[in-house]
Amino acid sequence: MSKAALAQFQQVFIEESLEGLDTMESSLLELDNGGDAELVHTIFRAAHSIKGGAATFGFPEMSSFTHEAESLLDEVRSGKRAIDGAIIELLLRTVDCLRAMFARAQAGEPLNDTVAEALRNELAAAMGRGAPAGAVQARRNVDQADAWTIRFRPYAGMLASGNDPLRLIRELGGLGELTVTPEFDRLPATLAALEPGECHLGWTIELKGPARRADISGVFDWVEDECDLSIDARHVVTEAAPPPAAAPAAPAPAAAAPVADAGAARAQREASAESSSVRVSIDKIDGLINLVGELVITQSMLDTFREGEIDAARLAVLEQGLAQLARHTRELQESVMGIRMLPIASVFNRFPRMVRDISQKLGKQVKLELVGEQTELDKTVLEKIGDPMVHLVRNAIDHGLETPDKRRAAGKGDTGTLTLAASHRGGSIVVEVSDDGAGLNRDAIIGKAVQRGLISSGEGMSDEAVADLIFQPGFSTAAVTTDLSGRGVGMDVVRRNVADLGGTVTIRSTQGKGSVFTITLPLTLAIIDGLTAAVGEERYIVPLVSIVESVQLKGDAVRSVAGGGELFRFRNEYLPVIRLHDAFGCQDAVRGIDEGLMVVVEGDGTRVGLFVDGLIGQQQAVVKSLEANYRRVQGVSGATILADGSVALIVDIAGLVRLQARRKAA
Amino acid sequence: MAKILAVDDSASMRGMVAFTLRGAGHEVSEAENGQLALDAARSGNFDLVLADVNMPVMDGLSMVRELRTMPAYKGVPILMLTTESHTDKKMEGKAAGATGWLVKPFDPDQLLATVKRVLG
Amino acid sequence: MGKATTQRKGDTVRAISLPADFRIAALDEVKASLVEALDVPAVQIDGAAVERVDTAALQLLVAYRREAVARGQAPAWQGASAAMREAAAVLGLVQALELPATTPA
Repeated sequence: MSKAALAQFQQVFIEESLEGLDTMESSLLELDNGGDAELVHTIFRAAHSIKGGAATFGFPEMSSFTHEAESLLDEVRSGKRAIDGAIIELLLRTVDCLRAMFARAQAGEPLNDTVAEALRNELAAAMGRGAPAGAVQARRNVDQADAWTIRFRPYAGMLASGNDPLRLIRELGGLGELTVTPEFDRLPATLAALEPGECHLGWTIELKGPARRADISGVFDWVEDECDLSIDARHVVTEAAPPPAAAPAAPAPAAAAPVADAGAARAQREASAESSSVRVSIDKIDGLINLVGELVITQSMLDTFREGEIDAARLAVLEQGLAQLARHTRELQESVMGIRMLPIASVFNRFPRMVRDISQKLGKQVKLELVGEQTELDKTVLEKIGDPMVHLVRNAIDHGLETPDKRRAAGKGDTGTLTLAASHRGGSIVVEVSDDGAGLNRDAIIGKAVQRGLISSGEGMSDEAVADLIFQPGFSTAAVTTDLSGRGVGMDVVRRNVADLGGTVTIRSTQGKGSVFTITLPLTLAIIDGLTAAVGEERYIVPLVSIVESVQLKGDAVRSVAGGGELFRFRNEYLPVIRLHDAFGCQDAVRGIDEGLMVVVEGDGTRVGLFVDGLIGQQQAVVKSLEANYRRVQGVSGATILADGSVALIVDIAGLVRLQARRKAA
Repeated sequence: MAKILAVDDSASMRGMVAFTLRGAGHEVSEAENGQLALDAARSGNFDLVLADVNMPVMDGLSMVRELRTMPAYKGVPILMLTTESHTDKKMEGKAAGATGWLVKPFDPDQLLATVKRVLG
Repeated sequence: MGKATTQRKGDTVRAISLPADFRIAALDEVKASLVEALDVPAVQIDGAAVERVDTAALQLLVAYRREAVARGQAPAWQGASAAMREAAAVLGLVQALELPATTPA
């Protein structure tokens, strides 16, 4: 097999193994919660497949590692060993370790590390053995001779297993020259008594030619318990001493492996797999093929209009055909986009394990509820939504949910509830991370914000504005930084990551009752809904999600401030103005405030007024990468082609705000 | 060249087996569990069946037992693809009626050599 | 692939054609023809069409010949394919089957 072909199956193997590990993990967790014995089989099968494939596809380290886990599972499966929390814990860590190994495999790094070694020894120790004694086994004598006598008497049932002496003796002929003498002594006396499917013949075979005993017995290795076999050397050439059996390695101490971080291992794997491939259900592909079929039919129907006069009757048909074409094109677009849509379950599924680990560590009792796991979203979005969610979940358990003592004191049940919910809302996907914990403490936040110099006082601030403070860079409400959230990542990073995906994150909180973080994301990054804005001769697309409102202002509504900036009053706040014609250097644009339009947009948590000549209309824009076709441009997230064939740039609001802030500072 | 049925729930393993055997000119059908393999076996006369042991729906051993009750598969070689190097596991396969086994890991050359061997 | 066919030539000569796929799955039928043929004085066996053959098939022929000879009959080969002769040679059964060296035209 060519290298490329092997690599292709390697990739498939890695993907299915990662799925297998997910299955193992969820089944182990279910087992931990009192699931039934069938789960053990499921776990065993998954481990078994990985072990079998690993060595075949060039990962022997993983294979020997999985072998230990599989042996353990086999004992559980066959009832020799009862499953308990310790074994589940050990197997969960095995899952983590294998995930990390697959991640290293994809990155082309060495597979084994100290964690894997230690865990392997631990598994071996759990099996009541020392470290695996390596692959060296005492081998059979490798004596060699140049002539052999082989007596081969199959049992009656051998043929029924598909083993044909004809094949075996023919194979033996490959080792040297044969003289075959049949034996009929066991043949029934009458033909009628012969059961044709049974073997009653026997053979004595003289083999001439230098051959090793192992080569000969190798021919019979499938049938050694289905025949009487003797192999005798007649001319012994050499008798090599068997290699000394390797002394079994001393049992390694069952080193406590450092607890591998499931989330980290998974994140690593996903980072490396981000651009790989997508598995598409057959239904979706069938749907596509169906649509293409329809399209072909419509096209051939339209083709008939190339010839002949088009009268009123034919015109009606033509119009009908064009309408059909439009419908099929739209459906095709939806279907093709659908290929990239995957259920969010794959992201949700990592949380039961994470929540279990974190809550145990913090001594909290948490019940996790997942809602809307089948909600589909674009693969690119899916891959990137994981990290912000991990952070929100950590934050909720760490800061939101209380310890059982505190919960009791607050009149709540011991166990807190953490809910992850996904749903579609229009062209967006909404993911909520909510808890029934303590909620945000308004005074604590204001105190911290003042201390950090983010605000001078909290007076007159709405609850919403106060809550929003936690998204400011450098903000942390925890009195003591725990090792869980103390990763140098704050809520500001969550907001920025989500903003990079064209989404927003907001919080609603009630003190004493809990908090709800809401991430709103576009379903896909490939198509955006936007308003087309005119600026001079140019056209720009402003993403609909970032638009708050557009207002026509009077000339004196905008005031210049020291330093060259402009501000205008919008509701109760003053917003900076970004003149798009200035930002992008457009000629012939409208300059008078009362002649143009102020579009209030929000990006990166900041609201600004975008001044344009006017808005032309709403449209869906297929995003073309500017980076891939030209180069990265500040304040622009991509380009699209308008109906008239001209190019319009898509405004990156967050980028534009940052650009403007830098200009002002300069 | 021979008609071969490859049965494995792992797409990578099945794909690798089928790819290798097709490359050697064999006609290969694929099935992802024992039940589907039996359906395939009923409609096609295979010269050789390669089957994984551990599969959902119907495992390899049950599949072999069923196959051996079908007159057309009385003497057809059936190889188990197994990771078991333990003798008792192999013997379980033999007792079910398997011809022999191919121990995973195997590389394409080993697979072809074994298939060649069993087809005679 | 033909099945074993039995052709009656009066009551004295019986011709049996062996099937192309002359292997374990086909043997019950062939055995029935052969058992019947044991009662006929002259039997001609045609193995010219045999393409695939296994040990069980040749064992059946050996058992048949042994009993036929014991009954004083002399079963004759009308033809034997290369596949049959090669298999018989591997299993050391050429003599026991008294296979012709080549297939008569």
